[in-house]
Amino acid sequence: MSSRSVMAELLWAEKYRPRSLREIVNQEDVVKRLHVFVKERNMPHLLFAGPPGTGKTTAAHALAHDLFGEDYRPYMLELNASDERGIDVIRTKVKEFARSKLPVEVPFKIVLLDEADNMTADAQQALRRLMEMYVDVTRFILIANYPSKIIEPIQSRCAVFRFISLKREDVVARLKWICSQEKVVCDDRGLESIYEVSGGDMRKAINVLQAAAALGEVNTSNVYKVVGLATPVEVRALLKTALFEGDFMKSREALRKLIVNYGLSGVDIVKQLHREVFSSEVAIPEDLRVEIADYLGEIQYRLVEGADDEIQLSALLAKLVLLGKPLRQQPQLSKPVKR
Amino acid sequence: MSSTKKIPWVVKYRPKKTDEVVNQEEAKKLFIKWIDSWISKKPEKKGALLYGPPGSGKTSLVEAVAAEKGLELLEMNASDYRRTSDIERIAKASSRARSLVSARGKILLLDEVDGISDVADRGALEAILDLIKNTQHPVVLIANDPWNPKLRGLRDECLMIRFRRLTKTDVKKVLRSICASEKLVCDDDAIDYVAEKSEGDLRSAINDLEAVGEGFGRVTLSATKALLRTRDRDLETFEVVRRILTSKYSWQAREASTQTDLAPDELIKWIHENLPRQAQDPEDLWRAYEAISRADVYFSRIVRSQNWDLLAYAVDMMTAGVALSIKNEQYKFKWTEYSPPPEIRKSAIVAREVRRVREDLAKVIAAHLKCSTSTAKSDVIPLLKVIFDNNLEYAAKLALGLNLSDSMITYLSESRGEQIVKRVEELRQEIRRETRKTVLELSRESRASSGRARTKQSGKKEEKNSRGLENFSRK
Repeated sequence: MSSRSVMAELLWAEKYRPRSLREIVNQEDVVKRLHVFVKERNMPHLLFAGPPGTGKTTAAHALAHDLFGEDYRPYMLELNASDERGIDVIRTKVKEFARSKLPVEVPFKIVLLDEADNMTADAQQALRRLMEMYVDVTRFILIANYPSKIIEPIQSRCAVFRFISLKREDVVARLKWICSQEKVVCDDRGLESIYEVSGGDMRKAINVLQAAAALGEVNTSNVYKVVGLATPVEVRALLKTALFEGDFMKSREALRKLIVNYGLSGVDIVKQLHREVFSSEVAIPEDLRVEIADYLGEIQYRLVEGADDEIQLSALLAKLVLLGKPLRQQPQLSKPVKR
Repeated sequence: MSSTKKIPWVVKYRPKKTDEVVNQEEAKKLFIKWIDSWISKKPEKKGALLYGPPGSGKTSLVEAVAAEKGLELLEMNASDYRRTSDIERIAKASSRARSLVSARGKILLLDEVDGISDVADRGALEAILDLIKNTQHPVVLIANDPWNPKLRGLRDECLMIRFRRLTKTDVKKVLRSICASEKLVCDDDAIDYVAEKSEGDLRSAINDLEAVGEGFGRVTLSATKALLRTRDRDLETFEVVRRILTSKYSWQAREASTQTDLAPDELIKWIHENLPRQAQDPEDLWRAYEAISRADVYFSRIVRSQNWDLLAYAVDMMTAGVALSIKNEQYKFKWTEYSPPPEIRKSAIVAREVRRVREDLAKVIAAHLKCSTSTAKSDVIPLLKVIFDNNLEYAAKLALGLNLSDSMITYLSESRGEQIVKRVEELRQEIRRETRKTVLELSRESRASSGRARTKQSGKKEEKNSRGLENFSRK
């Protein structure tokens, strides 16, 4: 058996995801209350709120697992609202599942809506009706980073659970445990730096850990190497070519390459540019950062309206070439101090 | 000539002998040697892949060799062998050592193999591979671009024979000899023009010559230009774009746009392509792009609202709006070379394909990690790329564990994708071997137990074992 298991690998974030509430070591207050639902085999609608990577989705699955057993899948409909956020999905998929007959072996079914704060207002209204109509057979678990984006009537129908950011020592301990399971060499400074770069997001932390381990061992230099490699240099190069070199044609070629070879959509590129514009690694005068961001917003709006990726982003490049003109003319004056 | 049935010149003047195939000495030598090795029954590779630019003589050479060696040519185009069943049909024909009708040997020719879509014609490429492995006759594949990743498997099985792009001199030589046999009076500069325009594609050059020679008794440069230019959309469009970009008044620019058959949403691509060549002042360029991007916004509104009245405003912005933005006279009237937009359709297809792969990959990851596809794209894919670029063995195991497709793997690592795909295949085979071994052990076990009375317990044990197997293969 061992020779087989070494042949295929999984993502550690999946492999080491707690399956049962008992395995969850953080969020003690939340977990304690969820245990009660399992014991009583009953629960209200739930709203899990908190920053990414704090265990909301994991807790929802673990709850279903503990309620319905190992094969809990048929009794739970799982939707990621940022992928399926329209009112149609609520009216068809969710409604169908919610009103379907209750199997005798379970007290209720669960609808899990991940990233529910991405749902449109219409969809939320439709959802609210379903939550009322089928409450006897179906309970909803809504997960959101920003609970304020969930409409008031839904919030008032849910028991709200707040997930707090994971503590540094909890994240580091978990990472260390995974390293011991995987027989990966790691040092504490390396694990600390993973915490730094992932900002308490456990999923991100474990992903970075796995990538660093793939480079050999988990130490500070490999962690930063991974983060450096995972930051796409092409988008930054695009920004620099247009702004600092003022070479429109070259930057447009780079743009085409991003679209064709990397399969990035216009919106993907705008979003990444937005990140780069405020990065301390790119030395742009402060007032320009704001001006570029404003224009990025305009371009993204046009793209979402259905405008052409290449033409709109070329317009952006033309703007960057123009904005960079004073920088290029007086290089010694305009070179800002790197922060 | 007028009384006889008309055959197109490309067919009429196809080389009958290998000597007549123009300037591909190296390819000729390799190919003939390979065919001879078949005749003496000892071919090193059973397939040959002939590749090179269009009109360089690939098909002609195969036909000429077949004729000279007295071999029967079974020819198929991409459209004929889209389906696995078609290929199996040829394969059947080829597995017979001799055809019934004649005692002659055969050559199997599959033209345009790069036209096979690895998605739509799934299975076709594998069927060709099988065909090559089992054939009793030489199998010749022809492609323009052999480096396409989907042809990877075929490349390994085939002798690669390269055809060079023909030079202008090569093309001119053939055109002159055709003129001579057709008794066509043809000016040197006209021949030169046709040859130049063909860019080494002899087939298109002969077609052009025929088009010009047919209508006129004598082929002159001016007649040639007049005729070929009207067929040359690019030249005409360049002039329209140049007039738009150099217009001083709005009416000029708007009027210029009516001088082309190109639809406005095509024309805007041409203007977008060449605008930075004329508007080199950053201020001008930005203003012009503001205008053209407004036009683009109007197009998107037309598509969404189906309100075609808006088209007028789109055209205004992309013509007059752009023209009046270019103010710096230092560049405005300067002649610069234009170029057509990159093959929009082709690159759009590539982009769409890559995007689809990325989207599918994100879905696979999202399902495993229970996150949204956008999180998968922004947080996970970049890290996977790091792994795939740096640790081949581990990447292959992950690819296996996540059950990634070949195209997903090559998306994750441009530089080492192919190696990883190969390694995954090896691992799969290893697993298959292991599985077979287990099955064998199981059957041995059950044979051993069949002597005894079958107890409930042994039945249970077997069930458990087979479930373990199932779990494992799912992995």
